[in-house]
Amino acid sequence: MTVRFSYGRIAHVLLWCGLAVASLGISIPKIYSGVTQYPLHPTGPLHTCDNYLKFATGASGASQGLISTFQSVSPSKRIIIFTRKDDAFSSGLGMTTAYLASPHLVRLFEISGTHPDNELSKMNPGEVAAVVFCRMNRPAWLPAGKVFGSGLEVVSIREKAR
Amino acid sequence: MSALALLGAFGTLLIAGYGLLTLLARNETQLSLTEQIAFSWLLGTGAVSLLLWIFGLFVHGVLLPSLVSIICLSLGLIGWRRMVPRPLRRMPNPFEIFLGIIVVLEIAIVFYLSFVHTLGWDGLLNWEIKARYAFANGGVIPATYFSDSGRAFSHPEYPLAIPFTELWLYLWLGEADQFCAKTIFPIFYVIGTFLVVAFGRRFTGKTWIGLLMAAFLFFVPQMTVEVGSAIAGYADFPLSIFYLATIGCLFCATEPKNDAFFRLYAACLALLPWVKRDGLILWVVAAACGVYVILRTKKSSRHFLALFPGLLIICGWRFYLAAMHATQSADFLPVNLETFSSHLDRILPLLSALLAEFHNLPTWSLFWFVVAVGVAYLLGQMRNPGTPVLLTALFVPIVLYLLIYVFSSWPNYLQHVGLSISRLLMHVAPVGFLITLLAISRRRVKSPAPVHERGVTCAMTDSERTPVIALA
Repeated sequence: MTVRFSYGRIAHVLLWCGLAVASLGISIPKIYSGVTQYPLHPTGPLHTCDNYLKFATGASGASQGLISTFQSVSPSKRIIIFTRKDDAFSSGLGMTTAYLASPHLVRLFEISGTHPDNELSKMNPGEVAAVVFCRMNRPAWLPAGKVFGSGLEVVSIREKAR
Repeated sequence: MSALALLGAFGTLLIAGYGLLTLLARNETQLSLTEQIAFSWLLGTGAVSLLLWIFGLFVHGVLLPSLVSIICLSLGLIGWRRMVPRPLRRMPNPFEIFLGIIVVLEIAIVFYLSFVHTLGWDGLLNWEIKARYAFANGGVIPATYFSDSGRAFSHPEYPLAIPFTELWLYLWLGEADQFCAKTIFPIFYVIGTFLVVAFGRRFTGKTWIGLLMAAFLFFVPQMTVEVGSAIAGYADFPLSIFYLATIGCLFCATEPKNDAFFRLYAACLALLPWVKRDGLILWVVAAACGVYVILRTKKSSRHFLALFPGLLIICGWRFYLAAMHATQSADFLPVNLETFSSHLDRILPLLSALLAEFHNLPTWSLFWFVVAVGVAYLLGQMRNPGTPVLLTALFVPIVLYLLIYVFSSWPNYLQHVGLSISRLLMHVAPVGFLITLLAISRRRVKSPAPVHERGVTCAMTDSERTPVIALA
């Protein structure tokens, strides 16, 4: 078998080799940092939620605690979740809590500021199973609930003195 | 125990897919082992998720997985009786072995990365959430989920191929496990590499080009380490693999008497809108390419039936969502001419954002520049019916995706673009690999391509024939 060389073929090979080398030169540092950035996390059925809740609140294994809290209240009533506008952590906590609150129906309130007194006062307590505060202040007139790390509090309405 | 359950879930899935593959290939073509595994996985995930959804309308509880398992095994029995023939094996040369080792190492790293990272945000709250809720409700998503305004953030209207593949794992495991759910995504990466190798060999007749491209798949950061990549648990990467299979099969079907690949194209095409809502756009483009191939290669009019399964899935899912009173996404304004004309001023900033994304080296490296060079090579080969298919499949979805943002309801639509454009571009990126491998091989195809013998390859070059094959 003979291999015929031509200027076109040589240019073709050089072009693609050059592109390949340049691509690798740019990609390898990025891929390397991606591979070495994180250690292996503990595994488990709720490992994503646990990791996020630990990141946002500092509490370990909070997912199961949240599920247990929601299971202890009436499933026919809604879970009300308060999050702060323009606060990605609060919003993320709210959505993660809504994820874990199944089979309850949920209602997410995104409000300005950290005091949801107005919104809470308009609610019918008979329709609410629990209220969740994500990086929000619980109104003083509402009894203390279960606190998960810093910034996440769940008040079961049966705990509330009616 | 978990490993055994996972093995059972993946096994039934592959068995079902293999059964469907034998029905579609009908002994008319030879498929390599990697092709058989790849198509079995894609068809299996599609079939199992569709069966779970359809049977879930009538039964739930233990009966649902039992029924689906029985169908999977029945399909496997069909597959066992009608094995797809494999081409003669030849000894790989040292360069191919070297590239093969690199690809295997890359696959191992992708698996490692997948387990190091948790599910991404959308992976958890848009996709896995549906699997978890369905598992907790006997295999069926509760009707209240679709109409619950409090969970509208999780896009109840998104289709179920990925969540119900996760659900299939959960049903075998006996529990909803976010860690185990992640296993399906690196498998899609494996399938992607298999398909790139297989299409590389079919398009160019050279195995090493396919292996080289498969090795480079790993070096596009958007595919391996970025948000929405193969490790994040999003539906975008699986969608890009389904699109790769669809367009690759259509390219192979441009050759005369290659109906097996046209049927595989039809099957993968149908599953595009079932994987992600954006798959509807890819379906429209791939279907238009299919119509072009039918007309250009003068296939019989019955080939238009290939569009029917996809239409059925699209309409069926729409009807189901309407029946469930599903909350609709608030991300986009109503798509009509009035909205379009009133937001035309967005076009230039959108184009600018798109160009900026192409130049985004940390995300894409030189990928789009390489593809542009590949496109320049292919422009001289427009007479080959496969070339316009590849170029259309690459460019038209990008244009349509860009136009979608004209209808964005976000106050800052450029933020909307910034958050999702890289993932949308990833849908068509594997097609860029097909273009690149054709350009590297400098294959000049005469139309219509006459080289076809029991479908061994789309193009078998003499230079690749080993003495074993020549003797055969």
